[in-house]
Amino acid sequence: MKVLLISLFHPELVRGGAQQVAYELFLGLRAHPGIEPYLLCSIDGSLPALYKSGARITGFDGRENEFLFLSREYDYFWHRSSSAALLESFSEFLLLIKPDVVHFHHFLTYGVDLLTLTRRILPEARIIFTLHEFLAICAADGHMLRTADKSLCTKASPVRCHQCFPNTRPEEFFLKEMWIKRHFDAVDMFTTPSHFMIKHYTDWGIEPERIRRVTNGQENYSGGTVLPAATKKRNRFGFFGQMVDIKGIHIIIRAVEYLRSQGFTDFVLEINGANLRYASEARRKEIEEYLEAEGQKPLGEQIVLFNGSYTSDQLRERMSRVDWCIVPSVWWEIFALVISEAWMFGRPVIASNVGGPAERIRDDVDGLHFQVGDPVSLAHAMQRACTEEGMWDRLRGNIRPPPSREVMVEGFREVYIHASVDDHLGVSRQQRKSYLE
Amino acid sequence: MVDDAVSALEQHFAQLTGAGSSQDVPSAPDWFDEAAYLRLNADVAAAVAQGRMASGYQHYRLRGWYEKRPLAIPSAEQMDRLVRLIPLGAENDFVGAGQQATTACHVEAVQYSKAGGLTIIGWVNDTSNPLHSIRFVATKWIYIFSASGMSRIRRRDVEAAVGTSASYSYGFFAFVFLESDLEITETPTIVFEFADGSVSETKFAVNQVDDVELRNLVIAYLAQSEFFGNHQLEGIRLLGGGIGKNIIAHNKNITAKILAGACAQYFGAPKKPLRGSIVICLYGRPEYFFLQHTLFSRREGFSDYELIYVSNSPELAERLMAEARAAQIIYDVPVILVLLPGNAGFGAANNVAATYARSDRIMIVNPDVFPKDLDWAKRHTEALDQLPAEQTRLFGVPLYYDDGTLMHGGMYFELDTGISMRHGEMVPQQLARVEHYGKGAPVDALQFIRSRPIPAVTGAFISVERAWFETLGGFTEDFVFGHYEDADLCLKSFCAGSVPWIHDIRLWHLEGKGSTRLPVHEGGSLVNRWIFTERWIDVIKDGLEGPQPTHPLLQTSESVASDATQQLEWSRS
Repeated sequence: MKVLLISLFHPELVRGGAQQVAYELFLGLRAHPGIEPYLLCSIDGSLPALYKSGARITGFDGRENEFLFLSREYDYFWHRSSSAALLESFSEFLLLIKPDVVHFHHFLTYGVDLLTLTRRILPEARIIFTLHEFLAICAADGHMLRTADKSLCTKASPVRCHQCFPNTRPEEFFLKEMWIKRHFDAVDMFTTPSHFMIKHYTDWGIEPERIRRVTNGQENYSGGTVLPAATKKRNRFGFFGQMVDIKGIHIIIRAVEYLRSQGFTDFVLEINGANLRYASEARRKEIEEYLEAEGQKPLGEQIVLFNGSYTSDQLRERMSRVDWCIVPSVWWEIFALVISEAWMFGRPVIASNVGGPAERIRDDVDGLHFQVGDPVSLAHAMQRACTEEGMWDRLRGNIRPPPSREVMVEGFREVYIHASVDDHLGVSRQQRKSYLE
Repeated sequence: MVDDAVSALEQHFAQLTGAGSSQDVPSAPDWFDEAAYLRLNADVAAAVAQGRMASGYQHYRLRGWYEKRPLAIPSAEQMDRLVRLIPLGAENDFVGAGQQATTACHVEAVQYSKAGGLTIIGWVNDTSNPLHSIRFVATKWIYIFSASGMSRIRRRDVEAAVGTSASYSYGFFAFVFLESDLEITETPTIVFEFADGSVSETKFAVNQVDDVELRNLVIAYLAQSEFFGNHQLEGIRLLGGGIGKNIIAHNKNITAKILAGACAQYFGAPKKPLRGSIVICLYGRPEYFFLQHTLFSRREGFSDYELIYVSNSPELAERLMAEARAAQIIYDVPVILVLLPGNAGFGAANNVAATYARSDRIMIVNPDVFPKDLDWAKRHTEALDQLPAEQTRLFGVPLYYDDGTLMHGGMYFELDTGISMRHGEMVPQQLARVEHYGKGAPVDALQFIRSRPIPAVTGAFISVERAWFETLGGFTEDFVFGHYEDADLCLKSFCAGSVPWIHDIRLWHLEGKGSTRLPVHEGGSLVNRWIFTERWIDVIKDGLEGPQPTHPLLQTSESVASDATQQLEWSRS
């Protein structure tokens, strides 16, 4: 079975959870007998050196079966490219590879209309689409956060979306929904790593029969050994991830300052991450100024340390420096790979009480929840984590092994096999019939 | 003797003016008034009386024009038309030369376009000595604007300068479309002629502008002008005074030139005989192109139809070509893209696009119309197959807002009566207006969406037999930009004996509300409402007024219809 994975970026070129999962899946499928995977990763104008004159799809650094899609002329509202040449190259690529399964991990930078094109070019192929966020539903970068106050949004509608984007008329959001759903008609099966996502998307209109949960999985970077805690105190916290607004670093910083103001300073916070440049101007300024001020304090008074970015092979060393991981995301974090990474090393997680973290972490069983976006709530959780006797051992003892790469591969393999023409929905059969006319 | 003298004089003046022969000596205007000329030129009258000159006309031809002798003030029949007067050199300026007027007047702008559009804007304080006419005197031709054919508009700045609070329209605005290749090679003379025979003459440089620019300038000026009384009524009254027909002529000239430059590009070919050709005029919104492709294509029954897009926006041509190519790759639907080098307006653009149709049915569809009934194409084909021909000759469908309520289920006509102030009298004046059935009604408001004959259907969706469309002459191309063409087409059909129908095939219509309307659009609307009223007010009065029109043709169609339509399997009920 030939499987073409279509990924937003390559994790070694642009870091991010969706591309990390796609790549883990590619590596997992490659190890699976009977499956011949291909990986197509997009790049955009931020990597101009990788664009080759006249080319639209190229290889990637001599790697076998890994290709780059050189995105261009992309419309970020309608999510489409107006480049006919790009469409022709994609069609040609499909016909050259002739995959049995085309597994999209994103439409961003490609265009959602490539789903329809794929169906037309390969009417018998199974098309799978993994939903990594709400980009199909929400114009606010797919985060489902109201633009005015950054509160969580639970339902998109033409008028609500217009409230977030006053310069765009409700009719355009109405049309956009029809446009995206029309292309989603070409998909045989949707997957998402979280149950709550299924509810969001079925409420939006995807038939329940056409969406399944398949967990994200990844290689266990701990090598199977759990790091010992270095000190008796369990007062070392770590943040791992992208330093963009939705990841909520500012919530931790404010929690730290709250604890300081309360006279509680017997703890340390280590920030491990990158891409602060992608944060909003206001948030970036807040974080940079805070870290600068923290660095000016006498060494003994410094609580917050910034370690910079990290790679997978540095995880072991970084995780060994903390007792707890904090996931303070202020959006509907879909899965949070960092939870898996923390669990690989036996680190309980303190996380916002929404979305994927709330679904994965059992409050006071294998981790702690705090009220999303509330620094005081986080501060209380941190103080409790530092001071409550035996809690760390108790929570750590309940941590379940995170989903492995193999588990994920098996989950998708099952989808690839069963999301076929014959056992699919009537509506899709009709749709497929129309493509075969 | 006289003949010899005349001959000698002709040669003398021919040499003086550089003319090659006596053949080039100008003729007098065809409204030349011999008696008036002699009355106004006593020395000539004396010469004629003494036999030294054969006639005033002869004098005028020989030297009167050169000396700028006064002619009689032209009568109403002699004005508002072009006079090719003096085919000689620049020195042949012709003016009426009565005594110098004391009436204050001023020219502010003179615009002239290549095709022959001429407008003069200014003001005149003629409260005590009414303006009779304005002569525009070019090197080789004259145009005389009658005061009654000019638009008089309110000018607050002049009122302030004059120091009056009286309701008097000091401003004037004259426009004519000469439709000729007349050139203005030197600064023309503009002569104000007043009722008492006095004149005021001025040289004024002409601003040469593009035809489209002049058309837009004229209608925008009209829209922005201030009148005493109801703006729309007074504006329309002025259009009826002569400017309106000149705007139509100028606009049609522009349209004809644009249509002559039409270019069609074909993408894909039909794989089977087609049941209909969907003609869509894009309004500068290229995104509708790919949205409609996506939402129309791959739906049940759609393979029986083709798409013909016509673009009024030359700047979008290359993008639309790329879009059409992309759409062909993704959707594989046959498309014809008709590119126009300018905005020909809704009617002309659709008419020209319809000529490319490869079926015997034209479906006029707005670019912001999308299927609500996903099988709308199949239902449309079933309607053609199963309904009596007279019910599908020309029909529309219910259209819905994005919030799910009915946008409307057909159109009817209303007549608005307003009061126009003329010479201190209040004069009732009626204007025709198009209204819509069931705006905002719930989705299944059957009284608005059931199959039935109605006065008119919207141009957002019209399905019409191609032969009938052609018999009716397609859309009337008099309208500026677009508005009322749909109602106009329906009334043409009605008067030709075929009543428009509506059938329950549901579509979304996401009519734009947010775009900014510029003065030029407002002016176009004013012109169009005037045209529509002029053309149809008598027909509307004859049983087509109001939401429940009483015209016998509608009643007859309704009674014939009810039995047939109820039996139709394709009907939603």
